[in-house]
Amino acid sequence: MSNTAGQAYAFLAMTPIVSGEEDGLRAYIEGFAQTRPFERLPRTHFARLVILPDWVNDPSQPKEDHLHSQYLIFSTTFDGPLDSYLDELCDRMAPECKEVWGRCIGAPRRTRGAPLKNYLLHNQIDIGFFVSAYPHASVEKVQSVLARRKQLTDFAVRTQGLDPSELRHAYKQEF
Amino acid sequence: MASTVSTQLDMGDIQGDILFAYGNDYVCTSYVFVNVEGADGRSWLGALVDRVTSARPWPKDPDGATIKRDTTLNLAFTAAGLAALGVAPELLATFSSEFLSGMASRAGELGDVGPSAPSNWDPGLGTGEAHVLATINAKRSDLLERELTAFREHAERCGVTIVNEQHAELLGGQREHFGFADGFGQPAIEGVSEHKSVGGGVPEPDGRWRPLAPGEFILGYEDEDSRVDDEQRLPSAPATPLGRCGTYMVYRKLHQDVALWRKTLRDAAHGYEGGERKLAAKIVGRWPNGAPLVTSPEDEDPDFDPTQAHSNDFRYLDDDPDGRRCPLGAHIRRSNPRDALGWEGLDDAGLLAFRHRIIRRGMPYGPPLAPNVTADDGDDRGLVFVCFNASLSRQFESVQQQWLNDGNPFALGDDRDFLLGDASGSGKMTIQGDPPFFLAPQQSFVTTKGGEYLFAPGMTALAALADATESGL
Amino acid sequence: MASRATTMSNAKPTAEAATVAARRPAARTRSRSARPPVAAPRPRTASGRDTPAATAAALADGGDKVLGTPSRNVDGKAIAITVFSTVKWPGRFFLPVVFFVGTHVPTPISRTLSKLSFIHFARWTLVREMPDNGQPSETLQYPHLYFESNFNGGWAEYIDAFSHILAGGMKFFWSTSYGFPQPLPTGPFKVYIERNETDASHFYSAYPQATTTMILSGLELEKKLKSFDEKSVGLGDEEFAAQWRDFLTDVQELV
Repeated sequence: MSNTAGQAYAFLAMTPIVSGEEDGLRAYIEGFAQTRPFERLPRTHFARLVILPDWVNDPSQPKEDHLHSQYLIFSTTFDGPLDSYLDELCDRMAPECKEVWGRCIGAPRRTRGAPLKNYLLHNQIDIGFFVSAYPHASVEKVQSVLARRKQLTDFAVRTQGLDPSELRHAYKQEF
Repeated sequence: MASTVSTQLDMGDIQGDILFAYGNDYVCTSYVFVNVEGADGRSWLGALVDRVTSARPWPKDPDGATIKRDTTLNLAFTAAGLAALGVAPELLATFSSEFLSGMASRAGELGDVGPSAPSNWDPGLGTGEAHVLATINAKRSDLLERELTAFREHAERCGVTIVNEQHAELLGGQREHFGFADGFGQPAIEGVSEHKSVGGGVPEPDGRWRPLAPGEFILGYEDEDSRVDDEQRLPSAPATPLGRCGTYMVYRKLHQDVALWRKTLRDAAHGYEGGERKLAAKIVGRWPNGAPLVTSPEDEDPDFDPTQAHSNDFRYLDDDPDGRRCPLGAHIRRSNPRDALGWEGLDDAGLLAFRHRIIRRGMPYGPPLAPNVTADDGDDRGLVFVCFNASLSRQFESVQQQWLNDGNPFALGDDRDFLLGDASGSGKMTIQGDPPFFLAPQQSFVTTKGGEYLFAPGMTALAALADATESGL
Repeated sequence: MASRATTMSNAKPTAEAATVAARRPAARTRSRSARPPVAAPRPRTASGRDTPAATAAALADGGDKVLGTPSRNVDGKAIAITVFSTVKWPGRFFLPVVFFVGTHVPTPISRTLSKLSFIHFARWTLVREMPDNGQPSETLQYPHLYFESNFNGGWAEYIDAFSHILAGGMKFFWSTSYGFPQPLPTGPFKVYIERNETDASHFYSAYPQATTTMILSGLELEKKLKSFDEKSVGLGDEEFAAQWRDFLTDVQELV
């Protein structure tokens, strides 16, 4: 199982949604586009919440496969390790966790701390193959090199044609 | 080379100026958009269809000289136009979604924001009022006037209104307003223009080139996907009888700020060793006379002749991988990367580019700005950009959105096409070299003043559209 | 000249497939009932491989699904794709081997994936059973392959590149999935992915305006800048300018 690539961790959990709560859950999650709660978990590279109504069946299958509940897929790529990340999730996104996993079957009544973490771990699905274009770069590193790149580019454009002493001076000021 | 297309193109059923350009004999063109609301659109159309020019070869006189008509007429329809003509909803639904949405609704994707936003467009464009586009080419302006008068009278008689009219005219030397020779670099199409394959076709391993399947540009025929399909299925097209032999058309009126272009070049060239003319060439990827930078990296080859077979023969990956000749972000490198999206060890380096080719037509409009003037005189001038493709989203839109308005496919980050840019102006351009030269982010030289997505039907389809008795249509 | 149009899947051609005007499919509804509905297949038309009618129907259904990228699958320049496919019996054993090889052996698959420089992160895994939480018990008839990617660029371009460049390696992931057409031509493959794709309700990126190539350039640039910085300490102005010039020449493709 490869849940990791470099220092990045790929977490995936599928939890059954309480019957009748699917629309409410979806509507609630869609609000995250405005509130962006994952910004509170700065170790998160990417995260997604997907509601799976049922298996996708292909007409060529001999028989169909159906789920008896709809499932919430929570998939996140973050800077490891797993345990402390889940702690952060349960803590810093406590209200959202309550609304989201509070609508899932089998979730602890108190959706905080260890009980919720254990619930998510119980529903974790290990990853078979995980690839990353920059496996050793943390979120912080990514953001910092992006800023640096922009800074350097702007500087290079701005200082084009300066004479050597002006250039030196500008460089000292900038970097 | 044996053609793999099993069906010959039915030139009599395809409109003209798509596969074969009418040519520079036609020095002026009028683009007339009409609205048929409240009028008998089909009978207005019916009186015109017999005069629409097809792709049939021009007749020849006894001495073998080609006889071209004084004027040509071609018709294309917006989604609103097809609906207004009474095309049934189920039939309309078989057109592509981006065509149905219309160009104005794609403004975000196309970079038509700020000054280029549809709210700033010329009247009649992007509002749903434009139903049918009549393109009239003429050998002389008096001939054009004569045709336009007849066209207007006919429209008035039928109660059809003209909502936008654009006149265009060739500038001297096949140039456009920034001073660059334009109009070549067209795709080589099997059965049509195979002689252009070198440089205009798909670059293959070992230096070979091959022409593109006609279905990339005309519906009802095999496209590139058909070639790799066991069942050789055809690409999706609007349903019979409207789809076959038709194609999607892009019309964009692009205003060019020539004064700003000249001024920017003049100012930027102070620090550029190669000088103003070379800097301009670096932005475009060709010298003003059309000589490609890849083959003429230092100086403008005065003998460059675009009609010669190998004038377009160059590749990027082998001849210029680092952009030292033709910058990685130069306009022509972006609009047709050839093999530049490939990498070492990838057998077929043209793979990611070859399905995004377009046929370009169109013409400059507006009076030229007097030489050496760098202050805007307020005149409206620019380019009427017209292109044809079988898929708006895969061809025109991809080029516009992924290649011109973004740098990511070329590992250029945020950089946009410096020539066309988009109105947000946040991108610089790197002219690769030792050392590199940077062009600072710029306000756009080019602004979109209007546009439409259209469908140019085949001749049979045109007749079917005009036939009011055609049921279900 | 009759077009050689055929239906797209292995299913027997039906009367539906023969009609030219596509029938609107039953919408993949957001279920209000306890029992989730079967996701309705997109209509297959006789006129060609892609289904513009399906896209038009999806437009009517889902509002903003144009070019396969609804806004909820997008954050800035980053795009999410989430795909499930039902796996045939042999896949149960075959896929874990593919995963192992992909992970531990630098095969053409992983090398090529890294060259597809618009992917940030991607993952594949086989779902064999659903953990028990007291929900109505699930008995999976088949294992299901989960695929997820975070990438840049157009959806269609992405699938195009996948189709062409991974025509060899990609087969290994999906060859044991029901209904998987060949990766080429790209049309049926795009439709297959779109049918099997589920839209996200929320997609988040910590750096939405960044593309993978920008990040990779940034990582390399930082190293080079650091090295330049160290080298240039104490240089005279003229020498510094010369070094700076060399530095820019060296990093010009990273800025």
